[in-house]
Amino acid sequence: MDSRKKILIVDDNQDIRLGLHVRLKANQYDTFFAADAVSGVAEALKHLPDLIILDLGLPGGDGFTAMESLNKIPTLAVIPIIVVSARDAVGNQKRAYEAGAKAFLQKPVNDAELLAVIRQSLAEPTETKKPTLHDEGSV
Amino acid sequence: MIKGQIESRALPRALRHAIDRHRMQAETDLIRTHQMEFKDEFLSHVSHELRSPLTAVRQFVSILLDGLAGELNPEQRQYLEIVLRNVKQLHSMINDLFEVSGVQAGKLRIDLQCTSVADAIAYTVNTLQGAAAAKGIIMLPSDIERNLPSVYADPARVRQILIILVDNAIKFTPQNGTVKIRARICEEQPDFLLLEVSDSGCGIDPNLTERIFERLFQASDPALADHNGLGLGLFICKDLVTRQGGQIWAHSEPGKGSVFSVTFPMFSLPKLLAPVFSEERQTEGPVTLVVTEIGSQTGWLSNEVRADQCRGIREILRGCLYSNLDVLLPKMDSAGPLERFFIVAITDGIGGEAICARIRKQLDSSEPLRQAGLTHSTYYRSLEVIKEDATEPKEGFLERVAVDIQELMNEEALSKQVGSG
Repeated sequence: MDSRKKILIVDDNQDIRLGLHVRLKANQYDTFFAADAVSGVAEALKHLPDLIILDLGLPGGDGFTAMESLNKIPTLAVIPIIVVSARDAVGNQKRAYEAGAKAFLQKPVNDAELLAVIRQSLAEPTETKKPTLHDEGSV
Repeated sequence: MIKGQIESRALPRALRHAIDRHRMQAETDLIRTHQMEFKDEFLSHVSHELRSPLTAVRQFVSILLDGLAGELNPEQRQYLEIVLRNVKQLHSMINDLFEVSGVQAGKLRIDLQCTSVADAIAYTVNTLQGAAAAKGIIMLPSDIERNLPSVYADPARVRQILIILVDNAIKFTPQNGTVKIRARICEEQPDFLLLEVSDSGCGIDPNLTERIFERLFQASDPALADHNGLGLGLFICKDLVTRQGGQIWAHSEPGKGSVFSVTFPMFSLPKLLAPVFSEERQTEGPVTLVVTEIGSQTGWLSNEVRADQCRGIREILRGCLYSNLDVLLPKMDSAGPLERFFIVAITDGIGGEAICARIRKQLDSSEPLRQAGLTHSTYYRSLEVIKEDATEPKEGFLERVAVDIQELMNEEALSKQVGSG
């Protein structure tokens, strides 16, 4: 049980939450749910998931507000977030990365792509990455 | 009209009438503008709202097809595959709606760079091979010159245009027909590359070959009525082609298939360099080639995401350059997780070290770069030839400079390949 990864799904559409649950359960993930930004943060605190799937259009503050709140709590700031949204990728994708998202996928999501991104995100170390800025000097 | 009637009430009445007419015209224009804006916002909103229920439909159809809710018999599987195919079609239409609202609002982004048309053709054939095979259509990328020159266009948009044209060709071609894709230098305009998508389909009435590019155009021909689509694909295509400096047209005869032709301006290094060297600054030399490499710690990201990050880096690099003095060259090697940006900088006597320091400083302080987990390294090579020629630019000077720069860039690309860079 402990080896199974926990994924929090934050989406206000009940059907989409159920669909993701079925797909993730079949791939040996445990799922938890929240339908708005505020309970998304509360559920994250309660379950400390290994990964969060986050919608952007949410009641009670959108996905960006949720990311802002998550980033303020050190134990939650390290959890990888995959944004899955119906919003236009132009602008929102860049904004999501700037807010710390690992990936931006547009609805309707290709299941294989989503699972690949989840696997990759979970395989990476959960610490905040520091880019190794290096200069090679002149040639 | 009112001459000789000054004393009468006609003048004030005529003036009032003219003012009213002017005001009504202004109001009508304003209402029309608001209506257009409202329509585009509405389209954008509707397409956004449609995506969520569509997501649920697709999710559950996939769940059923993958057997996650139990075994399916062949008939059930066949019907669900029909549902999934139609869901994908609906998704494509919604994307068209979204795209067209962007076209109207002038929001579509075009990132011009050195682009391989051969790559775009290979991508398109690969993407649509399944759809063609399902109808027994043979899809041939033929007559593609071996060393086809690159074009100056947005690679994502070139792919998008080709996908629309080839997808249309497949739709309008009967079972066991043929779809061909050709690319060659345009004979009439040697500075342009000509791309042709031809099919053995039902063809188009010659009187309609211009109208098909209009927004929401749908042929009234009952033979064509069965084909899915909103009539937006070719409208989007035309907008994308013209905004990249090309042209699009169709040639067809009913019953004899259609040929859609698109031109793109060819990439030319001298053309790109011309603004820099046509200024008085051309005598200031020497010139330096600066190379900035961007590495990604998140190598698993999709090409689309990587392309988006790449666009971001280009923006940052543009901010590092001196307007009309330095040139950010298109990247010449698009493959792999590493991106390499070449910058031609006139050193203005300060030297390459100073230019590198300027670029490093900008990149080091870039928060988006840091957030995206990207690394960079910047170094330079002096372009010795320029020192001699720059003081007295002669005919063919730009072409010679371009050759030197190209050679240096190729050397850099080679050193990257063998890992000695």
